[in-house]
Amino acid sequence: MLQIQHLNKRYGDRPVLQDLNLSIHAGEIYGLLGPNGAGKTTTINIICNLLQADSGVVKVGGRTVSEVTKKLIGVAPQENLLYRSLTCAENLNFFAQIYGLSRTQRRQQVQDCLEAVNLSDRANSPAETLSGGMQRRLSMAIALVHQPKLVILDEPTTGLDIEARYEIWELIRQLKGQGITVLLTTHLLDEAERLCQRIGILKGGQLMAEGTLEELQQSIPAKEVVVVQTVQEEEAIARARESGFTPRRYGSDLAFWLPESLELKEILDRFAGIPLESVSRYPVKLEHIYLEITQPERNQEFFIPEEIPDPWVV
Amino acid sequence: MKYWRETLAVAQRILTELGRRRRSLIFWAIFPVSVLLLNGYILAERAQLSTGDAFERAAPATLVGAALFFSCLGGSVATVVSEREQHTLKRLFISPLSGTSYFLGIFLAHSCIGIGQSLLVYAIAALLGAEFNGSWGLAIAIILLSIAAYVGVGFILGTQFARRTEDVNALVATFGVPLLILGGAFLPPELFPETLLEIAEFNPIYHMNLALTGVSAIGDGISKISSHFWFLVIFAVLMVAGGWLAYRRMVWRERRL
Repeated sequence: MLQIQHLNKRYGDRPVLQDLNLSIHAGEIYGLLGPNGAGKTTTINIICNLLQADSGVVKVGGRTVSEVTKKLIGVAPQENLLYRSLTCAENLNFFAQIYGLSRTQRRQQVQDCLEAVNLSDRANSPAETLSGGMQRRLSMAIALVHQPKLVILDEPTTGLDIEARYEIWELIRQLKGQGITVLLTTHLLDEAERLCQRIGILKGGQLMAEGTLEELQQSIPAKEVVVVQTVQEEEAIARARESGFTPRRYGSDLAFWLPESLELKEILDRFAGIPLESVSRYPVKLEHIYLEITQPERNQEFFIPEEIPDPWVV
Repeated sequence: MKYWRETLAVAQRILTELGRRRRSLIFWAIFPVSVLLLNGYILAERAQLSTGDAFERAAPATLVGAALFFSCLGGSVATVVSEREQHTLKRLFISPLSGTSYFLGIFLAHSCIGIGQSLLVYAIAALLGAEFNGSWGLAIAIILLSIAAYVGVGFILGTQFARRTEDVNALVATFGVPLLILGGAFLPPELFPETLLEIAEFNPIYHMNLALTGVSAIGDGISKISSHFWFLVIFAVLMVAGGWLAYRRMVWRERRL
C-alpha cells in the first residue's frame, strides 16, 4: 500500500531523511517510532504531498504521490484541527464535500463515520462542546469520511486519559478489521506494542530497526530484564558481567539483560554477598529495544566495543 | 465541477459558522444600519436635503464604506487568521482542496454577506424615501468589484501581516479607518479641502463611493463614472492577484503538519 524507496530530504545543510526505505502492506498497522526530530513528521508530510523530497520515490496504492493520491490517504493529525463552531455532522459533511463525495454518499458516510467513532448521539453538537477524547474520535472520523485506503494517525492518543485511549485503540483495531492500512506514529511504546503488526524505529532520518515485536525482541541478547536496587552498584555490575548479564541504565535504575530466563533464586545466587534492596523482573519490552536504538549513549558507562550491535536492522 | 463543488463547500462552511455566531451576525446588521441612519439624518439636516435625497446619498457611502469594508475586508482577514490560529488550514492542505477554490469560496461567502448588507442598506434607505435612480446591473458590478477588491486586500493582510485574531483589529483600524474617512464613507467628499481631495484620488474607497453614488443616487451611466469605474476595475484585479500571490506564499510557508 505504501512504498518508500531511497527517500532523502535535507533542510539546508541538515539531513532529515537519509536513504529511507519502508514498505507497508495492505491491511497492516505499521508503527513508526522515533524521538522528536527523527524525521517522522517529514516522512508524513512527503507521503501527504505537502513537502517535496530531494530524491527517492514514495508510492501510495502503486501511484507516485501527487495531488491525486491525496484522495487515497486519510490523516488524523496530532492536533484535532476541527471547525469548532460546526457540529460533528457539519465537520464531516464539509470534508466529504471537499473530497468530492456526492450528496447521497455524503449522507451515508457521515452517518457511518459517526457510528464508527461512536458519536451518533452527538451528531448535532458543536465540536467545541465535545470532550478531548470525543474531539479526537471526530478527528479520526474526518480522516475516514472519504474511505481512504491508507490512514495516517499522528500520535492519536497523546494527551488523552486512559478511558479515551482504550476507545481510540478499539477504533484502530476496527480499521484493521475493515482492511484499511494504518500508519501510526506514537511516543507511547505500549500503544505500538498493542496495535502494530510491524514497527519501524527512525533515528536521525534513518530506519534503524524494523520488524514485528518478536523480531525486534530477538535483536537484543536478552530474554528478560532484571532491575536491581543496591548501594553496591559497582560490585553488582562486576558480578553480573561474570554471569553473562548485560548491564543497562533505565533512568536511574540499574538493570541487567539476562541472556536466558532464570528462576529468581538463581538470579539472587549470582548476586550473593551483595546487599540487594529490591529485584524486579520484566519481559523484554519495546521500550528496552527503542532506548537501545535511539539512545545508545545512555549506556556508555557499560560499553565495550564488541557489545555494540551492528547493524540494528532486523 | 471540482472547483465549483469545493468553492461551494468553503462558502457554505463560512456562512454556517457565521450563522452560529448569532451575536456577530446581529452586530454586522446593526453597524451599517446605524451608520446609514446617522449619515442620512446628518446630511438631511446640514445639507438641507429632503430625507429621501439624503438617504439616496448616504446609502452608497455607507454600503461601500461601513458595510462592505468591515464585512468583506475585515471578515476575510478574520477567516484566514482564524484558520491559521486553529490550524484548520493544515487540514485543508492535507485534503485535495485547491487554493483557487479556497479563495473563491471566501469570495463567494463574503459576496453573500455583502449582498445581504446591500439589500438591508437599500431597503432601509427606500423605507425612508430614497429611490434608486440608475442601472441595477452597473450597481451590482460596482458592488461585486468592491467585494473582490476588499477580499483581495483581506487575503494580503490576513496571510502576510496578521498572525493572531487580535492583530486583525489593529490592522483594520490602522489601514481602514483613515481610508474610510478619506473615501467619503462618513463625510461627503464635497467637504474635503483641495489637498485631501487630491490625496483621495488615490484612495480606492473614494472611487467605489463616487461610482456607486453616481449610479444609484444620480442615475449616472458608465460614461459618467468611467474614471471611478476603471480605477475600481484595475484596483480589484490588482488586489485579487495580490491576494492570490499572498495566499500562495503563505501556503508555501505553512504547508507542513
